Amino acid sequence: MTTATAAVKVDNVTKTFETAAAVEGLSFDVGENEFVTVVGPSGCGKSTMLRMVSGLVPPTDGKVFIRGKEVHGPIGDVGMVFQAPVLLPWRTTIKNILFTAEMRGENPGQYRQRALDLIKLASLEGFEKRYPHELSGGMQQRVAICRALLLNPSLLLMDEPFGALDIMTREKMGFELLKIWGANRTTVLFVTHSITEAVLLSDTIIVMTARPGKAKAVLTVDLPRPRDVKTLRDPRFVDLAGAVRDNIEAQWVE
Amino acid sequence: MEATIGFGLILLAWEYGTAVVRIPNYILPVPSAILRRFWETIAVQAHHLGATATTTLIGLVLSLFVGVLLALAVIYIRPLKAIVLPGLAAFNSIPKIAIAPLFIIWFGLGMEPKILLAFLLALFPIFVNSVTGMGEIEPDVLDLARLAGGTELRIFAKVRLMNAVPYIMDALKVAFPLALVGSIVGEFIGGNNGVGYLILSGQFNLDTPLVFATLLSITLFTTVVIGGVVLFEWIVLAWRPSRRTR
Repeated sequence: MTTATAAVKVDNVTKTFETAAAVEGLSFDVGENEFVTVVGPSGCGKSTMLRMVSGLVPPTDGKVFIRGKEVHGPIGDVGMVFQAPVLLPWRTTIKNILFTAEMRGENPGQYRQRALDLIKLASLEGFEKRYPHELSGGMQQRVAICRALLLNPSLLLMDEPFGALDIMTREKMGFELLKIWGANRTTVLFVTHSITEAVLLSDTIIVMTARPGKAKAVLTVDLPRPRDVKTLRDPRFVDLAGAVRDNIEAQWVE
Repeated sequence: MEATIGFGLILLAWEYGTAVVRIPNYILPVPSAILRRFWETIAVQAHHLGATATTTLIGLVLSLFVGVLLALAVIYIRPLKAIVLPGLAAFNSIPKIAIAPLFIIWFGLGMEPKILLAFLLALFPIFVNSVTGMGEIEPDVLDLARLAGGTELRIFAKVRLMNAVPYIMDALKVAFPLALVGSIVGEFIGGNNGVGYLILSGQFNLDTPLVFATLLSITLFTTVVIGGVVLFEWIVLAWRPSRRTR
């Protein structure tokens, strides 16, 4: 999907660590308000790619553009969620969400209502004053997502956010995320191992090759929104999941 | 309950048992004699305790500032860690008590050498715990802070320092008694102020009740300070998992 200025443009990016290249000649685009998922085998450089888009890690070669501007470091308008929630243990739920505002240098009081709205959206009502260790893994991740969305970032990066959860919670979190995203429609770049997760959540799926990673295939997911549990039974869903799987499995043979 | 009864029994044994075993007053005075002497000298006790408390607490506060700043330097300037940490450890194992007389020669008989001793003894535990508390932060947390636009100053105040509070509280429990020893030893060696001086004059005059009365003053002081630390922890560290059981 190429537009005049894509929300994110990864242009022929290579990242080498010591001797080995994690990512080589990787190129793809993310459209505005699009939900794009990157799937690929373990160690193919998905996390490295995400960190380069965030500006935390510079590419060895090639460029990353966010809305036409080259990325040289964190731009302050990007929310990120990692596999581990990494909430600050001395802060309550609401204070953890407001952390983003405090880091930006803003007055957290101004964002209190927004934080409460996000808490409601993420079905965390009643847990505003709880501490992280009093929350389940799934709840902690929801707090992490709210934290990432507090300042209405124009780009949300998610690095296997549900990878540490059990299958049932993981599935439920997928639907939660659809609900939360539906209300915000931020541009999302999502990384996962799970093919079903990718098909359920995204507009576009990019399949990466094994290390050194590059974009092997781009699939469009034309399932209608809003999506829910019934989508999983949609024959089109099954076909798409199959197509993604074929693309990944083809790599095992190569 | 049992502890109070036990303590009461010990006091009774002490009060009446010593006469039976014929322990003279100048070796082990009875509790009533100690309390009487304490009450008689209450103004003197207060004065000297005030002097010791001042030097101890100034030394302690200085060790907090220097310890935290030094820890920050070591965290932000990588190569410094290999030099400072072993260097400070080596310096710490030199018994400062032994070089206390040198401090008296260098800095005189006033408060300065006592503050210096208190500071030097308290520094190492504060420094080491600050390095761990402020340095051992999940890299993901730092990344998130930077992504949101966090400056190093904000990260220091809201992440590093907050993370270090439990560690520094623990360090204070070790550093405070050390600082106190530093002050008292300084007072033993020179000057005419402080509980160390008071104890020494009690010894000189064979006024053992005075010595015990002064020990009572010191105990009251340490109880108040450690009590303060524990109270601070109670309020500020209410988030800790051990405090909140489901």
